[in-house]
Amino acid sequence: MKFLTTNFVKCAIKTCDSSLEAFPLQYSECELVQEEQEFNPEFICHMLDRLDWQAVIKVAKDLGNTSLPPNKPEDIDPIMEDSQAILRDLHTLLVETRIVEGKMICRNCEHIYYIKNSIPNFLLPPHLC
Amino acid sequence: MLPTPTVRSLDEKVYDPAEDSFLLLDCFEQDQGYLLEKFPPPHTIPLVVEIGAGSGIVTTFVKQNILKDGIYIATDLNPHACKAVLETAEENRVDDEKLESCQMDLTNGIKNKHVDVLIFNPPYVPADEVPAVPETDDDESWLDLALCGGPQGMDVTWKVLHGLETTLSKNGLAYILFCARNNPMDVKRDMEQLGWKVDKIIERKAGWEVLSILRFQKT
Repeated sequence: MKFLTTNFVKCAIKTCDSSLEAFPLQYSECELVQEEQEFNPEFICHMLDRLDWQAVIKVAKDLGNTSLPPNKPEDIDPIMEDSQAILRDLHTLLVETRIVEGKMICRNCEHIYYIKNSIPNFLLPPHLC
Repeated sequence: MLPTPTVRSLDEKVYDPAEDSFLLLDCFEQDQGYLLEKFPPPHTIPLVVEIGAGSGIVTTFVKQNILKDGIYIATDLNPHACKAVLETAEENRVDDEKLESCQMDLTNGIKNKHVDVLIFNPPYVPADEVPAVPETDDDESWLDLALCGGPQGMDVTWKVLHGLETTLSKNGLAYILFCARNNPMDVKRDMEQLGWKVDKIIERKAGWEVLSILRFQKT
């Protein structure tokens, strides 16, 4: 599972939707791989618009990265050199970082979901469906 | 005519691409102009989600040809299908960096109001009941989940339709496939009464079935 995806997935239990704690899931005991992918500055730049930055920071911290700025980078222009550096770092984090194995824990109900062979599993046991 | 993705021989527990899958490909080819207008690249990056992606042929096709700049999540209950999606993407050289395969019931693990394009080829075959989710990966009955949809073949589809309000983003669209026995025109009328704009994009006779695809969006 790509880091980027952590911004779009949540606890599958409906009652957690109303909890402010539930999103993002907490990532624990994760095995990461870095995979080189084509750098598309424009994609990262537009992607940034739709990201929940606080969730990006939280998940990065779970995975041991505390270097992100507290506020979403603004006035990013893919043509400018200093923007390029920021976008390249984000590319490395969002697109090139993959969680191969690990746990995702809901901060509200504490249900644990597993990632195996890069595929996250959000199925619930019958008594929670 | 856009190329049909290659699908390697699949695990027998995964639904093989058939007439319904191909109708979806033709539907997206036909509706590409509308989608690009709605989500103009490169400024808009749509989140495209396919429920019950099976072999992954539809997600692969849409990513490769229709909304190339989107990000994709393919969901399936079936663990064998989750693997097949990634294999099909790879087989067709679709870089998987913006395609995620998740084992999930419908869209239950996806953030509410974020899906821009929802694709669903449901278990639309009328059957006594919707089968239970098997308990082990090597159970032979995984395939039944891709087919059997309750008495009208609509049990799972109605779940998705009733959840659209929560699932879709403000500009979101849902493409859902029906067979004639699902009475799609009744569904269209009922959904319109609930405040949805519903358009029939494509219809085709496939053997003894008549299949159609409806597009839903909030008015």
